Amino acid sequence: MDSENGTVSDAVKVLLHDIPRERGQLLPALWRVVEQYREITPELIGAVSESLNIPYAEVYGVASFYSLFDNPGGKMPVYVCTDVMCMLQGSENLKHAAESAAENGPVTIRESACLGQCDYAPAAWSGARVLRRATPEEIVSVVKEAGQ
Amino acid sequence: MNQVRRLLPDFGTTSSPTSVERLKERGFAEALRKVFAMSGEDIISQITESGIKGRGGAAFPTGLKWSSVYKAPGETKYVVMNADESELGTFKDRVLLEEDPLGALVGVLIAAHAVGAKKAFCYIRGEYRDVENRMAEALDTLRSQGWVGPDRVDVQIRRGAGAYIAGEETALFNSIEGKRPEPRVKPPFPTIKGLWASPTLIQNVETLANVAVLFAHDTEWFKQYGTKETIGTKLVAISGHVKQPGVYEVPFGMSLTDILNAPDLGGGIAGSGRLGAMLLGGAAGTFLTPEEIAKSSLDYASLGAVGANIGSGAVMVFDDTVDLVGVTTRLARFFAEESCGQCVPCRVGTQRVVELIENDGIQSRPQDLRELGLAMRDASICGLGQTAPLALLSLLDRPELRQHA
Ligand SMILES: Cc1cc2nc3c(=O)[nH]c(=O)nc-3n(C[C@H](O)[C@H](O)[C@H](O)COP(=O)(O)O)c2cc1C
Ligand code: SF4
Ligand code: FES
Repeated sequence: MDSENGTVSDAVKVLLHDIPRERGQLLPALWRVVEQYREITPELIGAVSESLNIPYAEVYGVASFYSLFDNPGGKMPVYVCTDVMCMLQGSENLKHAAESAAENGPVTIRESACLGQCDYAPAAWSGARVLRRATPEEIVSVVKEAGQ
Repeated sequence: MNQVRRLLPDFGTTSSPTSVERLKERGFAEALRKVFAMSGEDIISQITESGIKGRGGAAFPTGLKWSSVYKAPGETKYVVMNADESELGTFKDRVLLEEDPLGALVGVLIAAHAVGAKKAFCYIRGEYRDVENRMAEALDTLRSQGWVGPDRVDVQIRRGAGAYIAGEETALFNSIEGKRPEPRVKPPFPTIKGLWASPTLIQNVETLANVAVLFAHDTEWFKQYGTKETIGTKLVAISGHVKQPGVYEVPFGMSLTDILNAPDLGGGIAGSGRLGAMLLGGAAGTFLTPEEIAKSSLDYASLGAVGANIGSGAVMVFDDTVDLVGVTTRLARFFAEESCGQCVPCRVGTQRVVELIENDGIQSRPQDLRELGLAMRDASICGLGQTAPLALLSLLDRPELRQHA
């Protein structure tokens, strides 16, 4: 194990120190890792695998199933709902505005299926907050904020 | 007034949603005291008598499910609240948990006491972070009052991570167990072998909220609303081209026209102002024509007559300018994306549907689409594959809805 891996593995151990070493804790553990690192790299999978004593392939299989863990590059994701009810209310414009604002920055724009906010379509979500009846101006400012 | 406020707290409710005062104001504190002094059998017979059916989509009789878990052999039993709510157009559990989070949680505690479970999980979709926080606060309140804890019922919140299929009950168990959220083959049913192969009661948020208000009152009170066939009230989530999108509680049996137009409900058609169609029940729902809408009411029999289902209570409204074939294409892509890939009819079928629509359009090969749809319905392991083609088939059956497309 090289020293960089050693550091990550130690950091993950500390991060997960109070999580019981049980298979049923894998999803909460992965969430904690994603909240810290914003993505799940092979290295992080290895660290979780060691930390919880679950085979690497199993951790990989679980982590790769969930779309909210799928964020290669680890930029801050902002999700724009492009599902049917938001589509009717102009989610395309919203997405384009967000994408231009995010270009070459630390934020990445992801399309999302229904966010469960259709009464406030079009909706977007950045983890920290939900944008309801979002306007292009608003999403641009959220993208700028999220990048800081 | 067409709307009812029972599951949703009265407009006059003043206490904060997660407070001890709310617990009292809604009658939940009293309900818990009452229920924890009752036997499991007595609780379950009241549930059965109330006629509550599951509000997550399948409308399975709740009393029957409880009784099955109660009778199932096993030392360890679990209760699970399903707050995954990822169906298109469905946001009623979110609003219910925002406005009255204690209700559904009290339902969990009643359920656990009734079936003899010491442990419960609340599984909530990862995108509902604010709602999850509110739920955690409500749990703290119940803990502070001694209703939640290792000696009563231990309740844990689990956060999903963006997988529609994880809302399917057995996939949800796998998710909690730390496995890939792929559905299991049924039988065995969850009531016999659920979480960690133990008898498990899994219910939708709204179903559990019904349980809480039932015991905060009584069966007579509960039966004041609804129809002969279907007792009680239903939360509908209205979205799209109406003037007042939102979640409303209405008695079963209310006409769809009133749901769309009443001043305290949908408030009338927005967009072009002319009703084009309704998609009822979610991504796997049924398209209805204006004529069908005009003659239908929110009840299983009435909707069954036009081939539709209440499902989760999603009422998606389209004015007459919406390209419904485009909508259906979006739905088809969604299912292809969300299929877990475990079984062939669904994995391949959802892809084929997308290809057929995108390459040839929905009109050109209707017979192929129909046969594919039937094969998926009959041969898929879980509800996703079984119902994925429904909306598409309902559009094929209603050529008048495709005229402006
Ligand atoms: C693909 C799929 C997704 C589902 N998602 C949900 C969901 O998000 N919430 C829910 O309550 N039920 C969902 N269900 C239904 C559950 O499997 C289960 O029937 C329900 O939680 C039972 O609760 P009830 O009897 O109170 O309705 C889903 C089913 C399928 C097939
Ligand atoms: S029907 Fe589809 S989602 Fe369900 S188990 Fe089969 S492949 Fe997975
Ligand atoms: S379709 Fe966008 S929130 Fe439901």
